[in-house]
Formats: sequence, C-alpha cells, structure tokens
Amino acid sequence: METLKSIVEVTWFIILVAVGVAALVGYLYSHFKFYARSWFFPAVLAVFPALALAVFGGLLGGYTFQLWLYFLLAEAAIAAFFRFLVKGRHTVPYLMLAPAFVGLALLLVYPFVFEVYLSFHDLKLTTIMMWKNTGTLPFVGITQYIKVFTTSPLSEVTFWALLLRTLVWTFTNVFFHVVGGFILALMLNNHIKFKGIYRTLLVIPWAMPQVVAVLAMRGEFHAQYGFVNIFLVKLVHHLPFLASLGVGPVQWVSDYPLITCTLINIWLGIPFMMVVILGGLQSISSSYYDAADIDGASYFQKLRYITLPLVRPVMMPAVTLGTVWTFNNINVIYLVTGQSGGTEQADILVSALYKAAFTYNRYSYSAAFAIIVFAMLFFFSVFYLKSFDAAKDER
Amino acid sequence: MKKEMSAAARKKRLQHLLIHAGLILVSAAFVYPLLRIFSVSLRPGDKLFSMDLSIIPAGATLISYSKLLKDTMFLHWLWNSLLITLATSFIGVSLASTAAYSFSRFRFPGKKAGMILLLSSQMIPAGMLILPLFLMIMKLKLMNTYLGMIIAYSVSSLPFSIWILKGYYDTIPRSLEEAALVDGTSQVGAFWRIILPLSTPALSIAFLFNFTTAWNEYLVARVVLFSAKQYTWTLGLFELQGQFITQWGMFAAGSMLVTIPVLCVFLYSSKWLISGLTLGSVKG
Repeated sequence: METLKSIVEVTWFIILVAVGVAALVGYLYSHFKFYARSWFFPAVLAVFPALALAVFGGLLGGYTFQLWLYFLLAEAAIAAFFRFLVKGRHTVPYLMLAPAFVGLALLLVYPFVFEVYLSFHDLKLTTIMMWKNTGTLPFVGITQYIKVFTTSPLSEVTFWALLLRTLVWTFTNVFFHVVGGFILALMLNNHIKFKGIYRTLLVIPWAMPQVVAVLAMRGEFHAQYGFVNIFLVKLVHHLPFLASLGVGPVQWVSDYPLITCTLINIWLGIPFMMVVILGGLQSISSSYYDAADIDGASYFQKLRYITLPLVRPVMMPAVTLGTVWTFNNINVIYLVTGQSGGTEQADILVSALYKAAFTYNRYSYSAAFAIIVFAMLFFFSVFYLKSFDAAKDER
Repeated sequence: MKKEMSAAARKKRLQHLLIHAGLILVSAAFVYPLLRIFSVSLRPGDKLFSMDLSIIPAGATLISYSKLLKDTMFLHWLWNSLLITLATSFIGVSLASTAAYSFSRFRFPGKKAGMILLLSSQMIPAGMLILPLFLMIMKLKLMNTYLGMIIAYSVSSLPFSIWILKGYYDTIPRSLEEAALVDGTSQVGAFWRIILPLSTPALSIAFLFNFTTAWNEYLVARVVLFSAKQYTWTLGLFELQGQFITQWGMFAAGSMLVTIPVLCVFLYSSKWLISGLTLGSVKG
C-alpha cells in the first residue's frame, strides 16, 4: 500500500515536471510564432502576467498587485526581446534547449546567487525561523567574510590551517594517483596473459559505491579489529626489528585521521588515473619504440622521450579533473570523521564548509566561506587554463 | 646469434614474471577490502570481532543477511533510493537529450556561451550548492520527502549528460535527417524518429551515469532526509556502520548487497564512461 503511494507520488511529480516543460515550450513558442502580429503585445501582456500570478503567486508570497506588476514588467521585457531581437529565428534549437537551461537556472544558477545573498546576510539557528516565516534576513555586509578569516570555521582549526591542509591533501593525493596509475598502466601495457582480469580487479575500488568503500575502510582502520592493524601486528611479530623502528599498530582514526583519509582516497583514486593513462599508452604507435630500439635507447630513455610526451595530452585533462575532484572531496573526509564526536584534524576547506553549515548550523558564515573557496578555485582554473593555452601555442 | 636470441627471450620472460608478480600483488591489495567485507558478512554472530584474516570464516553463515533483511528497513531504504534515482535519471536524461541535439545540429547566437556555461558549471564545488538547495527545499516544505531529493538531484548530472550526448549525436551523419526532412518530417520529428532511436547506447550510458551518481549520493541526503523511513541506502548503511560495535555484520551484508549490482553495471559501462569523460575534457 505504501509502496503504491510512493510510486503515485513520484509519478505525479514527473507528470508535473512534464506539464511544466510543456507550458514553458508553449509559452516560448507563442513568442516565436506571433512576434510580428499587431495583437502580440496586448495579448501577451494581458494573458501571461495574470497566468503567472495565478500559478506562482502562492509560492512567491501572496497574490498581490505588486507581484503582478513585476510579472508585467518582466513580460514586457521578454516580449520586446522576442519582437525586436529574436524575430522568430532559431525557433527549434532554442525550444529544445529551454527546458534544460531553465532547469539549470533554477537549480544551479539561482542557488549560486542565493548563496551570494546569504553571505551578506545573517542566517543562523536563531534567525532561521524568522526567515522561514517572513523571508527577510538582517543585512550584515561583509561581516561574514571577515569572520571567515578571523574565527574558526569549526571549533578550533583556522581558515589558514584548513587552506594549507587542503593544498597538502590535494597535492599528495593527486601525486600518488598519477604515479600509482602510471606504474600500473605501464605494467598493464604489455603483452601479458590475464590482462583483462587484472584490469577488472584493479578498477574495483573506483567501481564500488564510494560510501561503501569509505565506510568499510573506516572499519578496517579500527585500532583492534581492522585488518590494517592486524597486518601490522603480524608483520611486527614476524620481523621484530621493525618494532624498534616504531612500526606497530596505531589508533588510525583518532590519532592520524588525515593520514587515514589520504590512504583511503589514494586507494580510491588510482584506478581512474590508471584507466585513463592506459588508454593513452595504448594509442601510442609501436613504431616509435621500434625506431628507438634501433637507435639503442634504454628503457628509461624511451619512457622519458616517447611515452611521457605522448601520454601528456591524455593525462593533463585527467589530472585537472582529478585535482578538482580531490580539492572538492567531502565524501571521504566526512564519512570518516563526520560522526558525532568526530575530529576536525582531517578537515579540508570543503568538508569544513559542509560541517560549518550542517553540524554547527552557521548558514551565512558557511555561505561566505563557500564564496571564498569558489573564488579561489575559479582563479586557479582561469590561471591554469591560461597557462595551458600558452603551452599549446608554444608548440 | 641463436644464443643471443634466447638470452633476450629469457630476459623477456623474467620481465613478464616480474610484471605478473607485481600485478597480482597490487590486485590483491586493491580487492582485499571487498573480500574482507564479504568475509565479515559471513561471520557468525559470536565471531564478528576476531583477528581472523581468512576470507571464508570458520562456521560461515548467512545470518547477517537474514538479520539485515528482517530487523532493519534495508529493503525499504533500497526502495527509496531506487525511486528517487529512477525519477532523477529519467528527468535528467530527457532534458539532456533535446538540449544536446540543439548543441549538436544548430548554429544560433548564444551557443558558445551556453557551452561555456555548461563546462564552467562543473567548476562549482558540489558541496557549495548543498546549502542553498537545502534552504530552497525547506522553503518549499519538501524536507524529508522524495520530491525534495529528486529536485536536488535532477540537474546535478545534466551538464555531463548533455556533453556526452552531444558527442554521440555529432557522430550520426546528418544525411539521415536530411533524407527524413525531404520526406516531409519536421526537424523535431526527425529528432524523435531517427536520432533518438539511433542514440540508444549513448542514452543508456547517460542514464547509467545519472543513475550511479544519484544512487551513491550521500551528502544531500544527509541534510534533506531525517526520518529512518525516508532514508536512502547510503544513510542507512552509515547508520549501521556508526553502531560499529553491534552491527558490523549487518553493515557488511548490506554493503555486499549494494555493491554487487553496482560493480556489474560499472564494469559493463566503464569503457563508455571513460571515453565520455576524456573526450569531453580534451575537446573543452
């Protein structure tokens, strides 16, 4: 019975979306089709603002005259745009794009703008009821931005410590992903038996649902029952001299949370790099190596002067993607340290941002924090793409 | 001469032996955690915490599985996940399929800007939009509902889907549609009757990508859903794992049940996904 109810609920929603899409397309179509008619302006101004008020009035705070006026102004602008600029051209591509872009505007662009709005206001646990009821928030200017740098996003750790940790985290992870992936890809790129089997086994960490992989590994880093420490105990038992070097079981999650997260994430990320690099290696024609063999090049010379330069174009986008993914990786850190009583010794910028919002309920603070992180990432990307283009031009 | 050859061959064989040894070692290390989950899921209740490292434990039993299905709402969580994920993927792929067509076949003002918007949207840290989405869902009074989740998820994979679908449409010769246009169909009709049926492989890959993204999502679900009845499986497993001391066997059993189908789907589709990923970024 409940199952049926849930199916009905979801189906109803999908139908609603379909109706919304149809309405949007119909609305735009009328503008494309009738833009030149003499009755175009009066008709659209009479119909659409009233319709919009009827449909969205409840959602946007009442069926008021003021709201209708806004809709009227918006409609006038849109109608003028269609009449004097678009003039009925490109109907099909725009209509086909419209649903996706309205979706993106509502659920990607609007949230982004909303986040900027939040960052200049004060939304926290004490003001959230007011916001829910009235929709207004106290304006605080750049106070939140100043706070990000002067107070701790969590309880102790500072912004600068988080920044440093994020850089270390990103660099370490990407470094080991690339090196590990490269070595494995080189090993796989030989004419050996069972290659397919090895490859399948080696992508398993990537293929597993990340939540399962991380939670399971978290369990395996348990001080007493996790296999990591059991291995260490056995190792020390068989090779006692290691104990004098300080090797032995440790309290992974509580004493070395960042190292634990890094180890888990390295394990998770190598397969992606391996697969991408292997694809690059396989596309290198063997004639290069044959020619190098004739010239008597050594293995490392071939690696340095043939393999690396030829794999680079495939690898660079993957490394960029990997860097952004690692920088933005909340999952691993949150799943390992996010439970109540969890540590903040492993947090990077994005996970602190998530915790500031949802563990500490400092919404506006977290929004300002998010904007700062976004700006950093944005400038990094622009700078990076510029240098990437410059490198391309040089060649 | 002959002796030299055999020396080279011997060197080659030794090299291959070393490679095999290395690959076996690394594969074992990579797969071991999964085998370990499997092993824990089979342990009898009184041996859940042992220092045992064998894969099939002594006295292996399926009791954790039956306990998981009987005593927890695991099946219900799977059902919730399935509903949310199917609806999200359906909406996402439908929107992407037409948008990608328009990018693939037409020239229009704003095309380049649109593509750049799509690419740059990938730069926004996913974690950043969770807060405003959470507040919007709260304002719409959709907290703790399927609809809230579907809304939050539905466009997250849209840019990527548009990107791979466009790549695929680009490979379909235009002459096919032109023939249909000559025969009197409209542009939209040609898309519907010719391009869409021909693109089934790409559509299914886009669907799978949407599906796995939403299926494995945790962070949004954490803040939108708060009653155990509405949980998706990711939240449910987190809960079980949180009670490490008591529920480890059930956590392991649940993990196995979710992982096996996901693994199969992934291994089946990985070739496509990777080419989509690298193609998209190389061209960008």
